[in-house]
Amino acid sequence: MNAPKIVSFAGAPREPVPVPLASADELGIEQVLDAEGLPNGNRPEPDLDQATVVKMYEVMVTVAALDRIGWQLQRSGRMEFWIPSRGQEAAHVASTAAMRPSDWIFLADREPGSFLWRGAGLTQMFAQFFGRADEPLKGRRLPLLLGDRSINIVPCTTQVGSYIPHAAGAAWAAKLRGDDTRFIVYFGDGATSRGEFHSALNFAGIHKPPVVFFCQNNGWAVSTPNDRQTATATFAEKADAYAVRRVRVDGNDPLAVYAATADALAAMPDEGATLIEAVTYRMGFHTSSDNPDLYRSGDEVDAWARWDPIDRTRKYLEHKGWWDSGREAALHEAADGDIKAAITAAEAMPKPVPESQFDDVFEQPTWMLDDQRDRLLDDLSNGGAL
Amino acid sequence: MTVLQATTAAMTRAMLDDSAVVVMGEDVGVAGGIFRATQGLQQQFGEDRVIDTPLDEKGIAAHAIGMALYGLRPIAEIQFSGFIHDAFEQIMFCGTKYRWITGGQYTCPMVLRAPSFGGIKGGFWHSQSPETYYIHGGGMKVVCPATPDDAYRLLLAAIVDPDPVLVLEAVPLYRSLSGPVNDDGVPAEIGRAEVVRPGDDLTIVAYGPARHLALRAADEMSAREGYSIEVIDLRSLVPWDREAVSASVRRTGRLVVLHEGSQTLGFGSEIVAAIQEHDFGYLHGPIQRIAGHDMPYGFSIGDEYYRPSIERIRAAVRRAMDFEF
Repeated sequence: MNAPKIVSFAGAPREPVPVPLASADELGIEQVLDAEGLPNGNRPEPDLDQATVVKMYEVMVTVAALDRIGWQLQRSGRMEFWIPSRGQEAAHVASTAAMRPSDWIFLADREPGSFLWRGAGLTQMFAQFFGRADEPLKGRRLPLLLGDRSINIVPCTTQVGSYIPHAAGAAWAAKLRGDDTRFIVYFGDGATSRGEFHSALNFAGIHKPPVVFFCQNNGWAVSTPNDRQTATATFAEKADAYAVRRVRVDGNDPLAVYAATADALAAMPDEGATLIEAVTYRMGFHTSSDNPDLYRSGDEVDAWARWDPIDRTRKYLEHKGWWDSGREAALHEAADGDIKAAITAAEAMPKPVPESQFDDVFEQPTWMLDDQRDRLLDDLSNGGAL
Repeated sequence: MTVLQATTAAMTRAMLDDSAVVVMGEDVGVAGGIFRATQGLQQQFGEDRVIDTPLDEKGIAAHAIGMALYGLRPIAEIQFSGFIHDAFEQIMFCGTKYRWITGGQYTCPMVLRAPSFGGIKGGFWHSQSPETYYIHGGGMKVVCPATPDDAYRLLLAAIVDPDPVLVLEAVPLYRSLSGPVNDDGVPAEIGRAEVVRPGDDLTIVAYGPARHLALRAADEMSAREGYSIEVIDLRSLVPWDREAVSASVRRTGRLVVLHEGSQTLGFGSEIVAAIQEHDFGYLHGPIQRIAGHDMPYGFSIGDEYYRPSIERIRAAVRRAMDFEF
């Protein structure tokens, strides 16, 4: 990480920061693949079979297709909001792949691939994006704040990082119960400035719950770069203050991410938690309400494109002889076709009825909520057009 | 039992009955909490179920939330309710919202025990009535026991409740008030008020330690001024027992609401609004509010002049009784 640079005037994109993945070895970033998707000897290849790596690639490509089409839907007014994930596919898909299906995941908001990996259907996901009634969260959450208990995925409490200790507490509960459930919680670089990050790591250092704190350092917290988020050279080293195991990994290298996550899981019986800093890059906007041209240069984005996680994974598959152009074309065609079919199906689903918002405040509504619900329905009935 | 002993008895009973119940907080283990409410629990149930936490209210609430999500029933002690606000976002935007934001998939059955109210010369941070903050926006049940039996049964009710419950414990009553408690493990029903004293001319609604001040005022004024005053202890604020208050006001026609928390948007505001909406035609005059003030609770004179005093109750009763349209 470079020394802080002061931009020359307000609104000027800052100078590009060199891609740290290009100097992974000297920066202490675990890496298996070089920019061309070839093993570079930095760290040994994990023992992964063809089917697993191919599935990771297929999910990553589907995530990118989802992101491209979702963005178009938002820009064309068919969806209210979008949170791009382009560039971060390997970080979340490969780490989720290292977990067992019974392990719990606390999602942030750029991890649709974790959902796909666990087998959630695209129609269910678009029903969530469109705020439809018949999806696990009943249309209550912004697009991409995904969760589904049937696949052990807890949706985020939206305030950045606020849920990190929820994962640590749940992990401690599982340990107390003697269960072998493990936990992973996703968050970004900005979340490391929040009190909850420090509460959770402090707790984890003391009690050693089985949790992976997975920080996707994508370079930018909206417009705030790493060197304005912290003066430390890395986010991983913050774990040292709490005696928590830590690792820094190439977040655009699915093999390195998988291996680092598997190592963290293996270390749990003795060491409890691990903080993983996955060094990646947000290729797109922060959200559909952002404009990154105000604060970062196209040159920086272009430099990161050379380390694109999807390209590197495809090249690795080709290098292993596990992939060909026919499968590549079929995958893209299937992803686009499945997504378009899901959009059609989800758009036809109904929105929630007004009284549904009174459900789930408590297990049983209080009379106070019953009164408010009855008044709303009466007023909607009596307050119609003049 | 004292109120404090009843509190300890409820936790002991719950921990014996359900291995999912854990206690956590600052100094709750070896020391038994600064008020000694958890005394002996760590020796009886071990360090894994009675957890001394770092000095971090936000972290206490947040980790309790995580434990509850996984299926434990954590009882988190906040040392004084004046310190709970560090955990405000965790409590009001996470723990009390998980059921709703997850479409009912994940729940958060946790208890927050918060020693509250004035009367111990504690100054601002050690004399607080934080109820309004933790009611606004929904998702939290709030109870405020003011007798040993209520301390026992409302805490048990909070522990078995499927949703988050904030228990505002009455610090000035912990050791000063004793009464019979049958340690039978039977919880109270959250949301039921108690008519502490029957009367025909005027109703005083109170909760927490103010219950006892209201009762004293009612007894004295009934004896010396001839007013027949009914006193209702709400016992629970979410849900609150509007039916009990309404039934009383429909008989007496006069209402005084009493609490220690700040007046503006205090819980009395809700009672006044609900009763005028529900029972307007039965009122003989304006409802009187007696509350703390919109300022910090001072060290040297707060107990006397911030909290409602018996003089202010008497004055409010006289205002209500003397009112003419």
